[in-house]
Order: sequence, then structure tokens, then C-alpha cells
Amino acid sequence: MSETVPRNTAPSPPRAAGEGSRGFLEEGRKLQRDLVEEYYRNLATAKERGQPVAYMLVGGNLTEIVRSFGYEVVFPEIIGLNCAIKHASLDNIVHAESMGYGLDVCGYVKNDIGLQDLGGSTPFGKVPRPDLLVCSFSGCYIYVKWWEALAESYGAPMTTFDVPYMRSDRPWREDVDYMVSQLWEFVHYLEKATDHSFDMDALRKVLAESRRAEEGWVKWLDAGRLRPSPIEAYFEAIFYMFPINVLRGTARAGDFYDVVNAEVERRVRDGTNPVPEEKFRVLVEGVPPYTHYRTFWDYFRRWGAVSVVATYPKVGGLFDRGFLHDPSRPFESIAEYSLGAYVNQSWEQRRRIIADYVDQYSADAVVIHGIKSCRSFTAGQGDLRDWLIHERNVPTLYVESDHEDPRYFSPAQMRNRLDAFFEALEQRRAAGSLAPGAGR
Amino acid sequence: MTLTGGVDIGSTTAKCVLVEDGRVVGKSLAPVGVDIVRDADHAFDEALLDAHRGREEVAFIVGTGYGRFKIRFGQLVVTEISCHARGASHLFPGTRLVLDIGGQDTKVIRVSERGEVEDFAMNDKCAAGTGRFLDVCANALGFDVAEIGPVSLTARRPVKVTSTCTVFAESEVTSHLSRGKEPPDILAGLHASIASRSLSLMQRVGVVPEVTFTGGVSRNEGMVRALAQRVGLPVNVSPLSQFIGALGAALLGQERAAGAGA
Repeated sequence: MSETVPRNTAPSPPRAAGEGSRGFLEEGRKLQRDLVEEYYRNLATAKERGQPVAYMLVGGNLTEIVRSFGYEVVFPEIIGLNCAIKHASLDNIVHAESMGYGLDVCGYVKNDIGLQDLGGSTPFGKVPRPDLLVCSFSGCYIYVKWWEALAESYGAPMTTFDVPYMRSDRPWREDVDYMVSQLWEFVHYLEKATDHSFDMDALRKVLAESRRAEEGWVKWLDAGRLRPSPIEAYFEAIFYMFPINVLRGTARAGDFYDVVNAEVERRVRDGTNPVPEEKFRVLVEGVPPYTHYRTFWDYFRRWGAVSVVATYPKVGGLFDRGFLHDPSRPFESIAEYSLGAYVNQSWEQRRRIIADYVDQYSADAVVIHGIKSCRSFTAGQGDLRDWLIHERNVPTLYVESDHEDPRYFSPAQMRNRLDAFFEALEQRRAAGSLAPGAGR
Repeated sequence: MTLTGGVDIGSTTAKCVLVEDGRVVGKSLAPVGVDIVRDADHAFDEALLDAHRGREEVAFIVGTGYGRFKIRFGQLVVTEISCHARGASHLFPGTRLVLDIGGQDTKVIRVSERGEVEDFAMNDKCAAGTGRFLDVCANALGFDVAEIGPVSLTARRPVKVTSTCTVFAESEVTSHLSRGKEPPDILAGLHASIASRSLSLMQRVGVVPEVTFTGGVSRNEGMVRALAQRVGLPVNVSPLSQFIGALGAALLGQERAAGAGA
């Protein structure tokens, strides 16, 4: 059990794929960085180009429709995460609190409101003001309030979608029809707002690009089924999910997944994996602590733990569960995609998805990271933990901090919990009592 | 005859236990200051003095507790969760649930028949319900923390303490005093409040007998009684309960030393 520490010097985690330490696996990561920089450059100059800007939420987003009308798309959640990983979120949060936003208000909201009130400058570039606010998902009530605050602040119009909650594997026909009717209403609104006629061919072209990127992304994620895993499906996927979330509908996104899938093939061929010696295959559920992202990752790598599958990279779309965009069924497939968003799934569905992943990816254990900011996503994770332990015999750890607010991350406590969890897994493996359904 | 050591550097105290063939042959306890490296050394030296043994005789040393990475002379670091499970199972082989209340930390650990950790839960980033909570409230009432257990047992009408925050609980204590409540009744209320929080944490992993209570707060007999009443089960407490993390570490050292052929 436990880690052997010569003369009590804590071991450094081994260098992982994507870090560039050995010169391998750099192409995808470098390209991702370039795409981020390019995206922010485009944002900063959108107004100069006369391009309208739409703000949208990631879950079940309607990127394809607004892109077909020529909008540049801003995802304030992703801006927030980029600020957090660059240690720039706290200033924005504290500023929002000085404006009267309470301690318990969502970190996304406070980062964004604070950022906007401070002039919109991020470590990556300046974020333009919105011409349109599209509240594309209604499952989180604070989203609506957040968008209302921005709409009032900017005097920008706001549209809200009513997305029925998913309680079955596939959406009900009535729900799809209901969504399609809202999408047409949205299209008519955009025609008036932009003074352009809706062009179905333009939408189909965007959808074809989306489909290509989605299939590439699914292929990359599927590689986690291999043993050892050539990908890090949580910590590395955090970087690689940028194109699927932000650039979907453009050729850039599809091209990116061609590059990283070729990278995976090289990793498999050369045996260069994220963790040199894979000891534990872990499923990770929940939003990462972006403010301490590398520290958190190190706590896994020290134990040879690799996340082979994770639910968080699926928040932009459950493409691997069949919710893919389809140019031959444009509106229906957009509706199904929106309904099938991970954040829109009932707890029964989320449990089923996670149980399937544990089996399909031969996971030894589950680590759930809850965030204080988001009760709507996190509430129920305690029950999920109990269900996995008692009903599925899968060792499961629940830890909590925040994705935006660094004040909620306690390194010593976090490490202690993860060390103890992996110590216990090691004990159970040595005793032969690790769940037989779990990966070997 | 293998001598091993366990050094537990907690938030409040440093403990060291020396074990030979499963028996405790020396131990030490001292407050932790700002120099954790020195405190760990000191705890180890004091335990050696207690056992009348020399450093060179110790075959394997395991460090544990929050300060475990500051122990310069060990061969292994293990979390206190594994160590408390091991130590409690050694002293009370029927243990299936360990409650450890230390200076700033409360943890519950479900253990298997073999003393393995099956599940655990810990308090959040908050000192409510820990030793620090009792320290603060004891000070507010003008007692030394060592006195409050026996005093709480003399309560006649325990008050209800509702605050979950250490700082607010102190204010609540002052408020009860200003309304003429008796200190023993307030102390009994504080102990009941901790017992209630502890039970809630225990329920997260499942309450099963036997329950073993460890950590500095387990020396408080008022707390032991309040806990047994709230949980509805007898609670194992050892005179060594404050040393159980260090004991578990030393026992794990015995296994490692045996495995290494030492």
C-alpha cells in the first residue's frame, strides 16, 4: 500500500503526454494553443469586421444556427474557465462581490460579471460586447438570471429556450417537435435581427463541419478503452475539448481532431502514454478545479492513475451516445442534440451513462469532483457516490472545491483524500477485493 | 525482533510510537510549532528515550498526518486515514467504523475485517466539530480544554447549540452566558452538537459496530458519552487513542520491514 518515498521526499509525478517534456505528443497541444489564440484574436476584431457577436451557453448550444447567420460566438463559461486556469478569475470574482454578488453565487456568473464590469480584458484578449444573448439551456435557473443581468447591462436582446428535461435514453417525439418549433421561431427572430434570410444550405454546410468534428472527437475519446490508455480523458481532454465546444461548425475543429487522432495512433505505436505505468483506470465525473488544475492532476499521476473516461468533456454534447448533428435532418438533429446534453440528463440517466462507461472503459474506480458554485450539477453526486459503491461495487471518492474560485481549493485536504483513496485501492487490489466488474 | 516507528504530525500535536513485535515499547506527544521538521525529530527522539533505544535500532519509520512530508528521516509516508484504520483494528479487532476527531479534522473510516479502508469521509474546510471548536468554546467559558469533559458531565439542563461555525458558536456561548445559562449546561450542549455532526459524517459511510473513537478529542470523557448516546452504540476508546495514527504507521512499518526481510 501507499507510496514509497526515499528519505521522505515526496515523489514528483512523471511527465505526462501533452506536456512536451520529451518532445512527443506536442502537436495537438500546440495546435490547440494556436486555436485558442486565434479565437481570441478573432473575438477582439469581430466588431471591426462588422461581425455580430452572440453569447451562448455550452450545454446544448445552437452554434450552427447562429453561425449560419454570420455571428461570432462567445461562450462566457469557457472565457471563465480560461481566466481560472490562468489564475485571473479571483480578481473578477472579488470585483463582482464588491458589486453585491453574494459569496454563494456561481463562480461563472461572478467571473463574467466582474470581467465585463472591469472592461472585458482576459489574459487571452478582449471579449467583445454581445449583440445577442442566447440562453440555449434552461435546466440551470441561474443561467437565465445571468443572461438577464448581461442583457440589462448591455441593453442587448435576449432569447431563451425552454429545453425539456431528459428522462429516457432517446428524446420523446413531442419534445423534439417542441424544440424544433422553438428553433424555427429563433430563425425568424435572427432573420429580423440580421436582416438576412435564412439559408438552409448554409446551415447544412455548418452542420456537416460539426458532424466531422464530432466524429473525430468521439474517436479520440474512444481511445480510452485501450489498455494502457493512450489518452488522458479528463485532464488532457480539458484542452482538447476547446475545438468541439468553441469552433464546432468550422473546418478548424474537424482538422484539429484529425491531428490529435493521428497523434493517438503514434502514441499507441510508440507506447508513449499519459502515465508511463498505468496502475489505476479512473472515471472522473464533475467540473475540474481549473484554478488548481495541474496540482489536481499531479495528485492522480503520483499514483499512476489515468482517467480513461470522464463525463465533463461531454458537457458540450453526448456525441458518443448518438447525439450527433446530421445535415440531412438539420433541425431535428439540433433539437435532439440540445435535449441530449449531459447537463440536461436526469440523475437516473446520468447513473446509467456512468455505469456504462465504467464497464466499457474497464474503470477501476470513480472520482467525483463537486463544485460549490453549481448546485444544479453537483446536487445528487453524493447519491451517485453511494449508488456506485453499494449498487455497483465500484470504489468511489467524492471531493469538492470549485472550478472558478480558488478560495475553495485546499491543497493539503485534497491531496490527503486522493492519497487515502488510492492507498485503499492499492490495499484492495493486493487483497484481491477490487470489484470484479472493475477494470483489471 | 523488529523495531519500527510511526510519526504522526497533526495540526496540533506531534506523536511518535515505537512498536516491537506488535507491542508499543515507546511513545511521545508534543505540541506542533512552526518548525515541523524539528518537531518531528523531537517527537522521534522523545519516543526513543521513552523506549531506551537508539535511532540505529529502528528498522523502518513511517510518517503520517498533515506534516508527513516534512519528516526527514522516514522511509514511507502514508495518510492518517490508512494509519487510523490499521491502529484501531489492531487495538480493537472488531472495529468496523473509526471516528477520529483531531485538532482541525474529523474523519470517519469504514474498515474491513482485515483492517483495510473500505470508505471514508472527512469534514469540509471548516473546523466546526473538531478539537479547535472545543478549544475556542472552552476559552470563551474560561476553562482549560482538559477540564471541559468532566464539567459537561455535571450538566442538568443541556442547552441547544445550533451554530455550525466555530466563530459563531463562540458568540452563541457568550449569548447563553449572558442569558444566565450554567457553563456545564452549555458545555453539554457543545458536546452534543459535535456528537450530532459526527453522527452525520458517520452516516455517510454507514454506522456499523464496533465503533472506535480516536484522536485527541477522544480523551474527553464528556465527548465519549455524548457520542455513545447520539450514535446509540458503545464506543471503543483506548488510553492510546491519541496515538492511534502513529501506532498504525508503526504497524505498517512492521509489515514493510517484514516484507523487506529486515
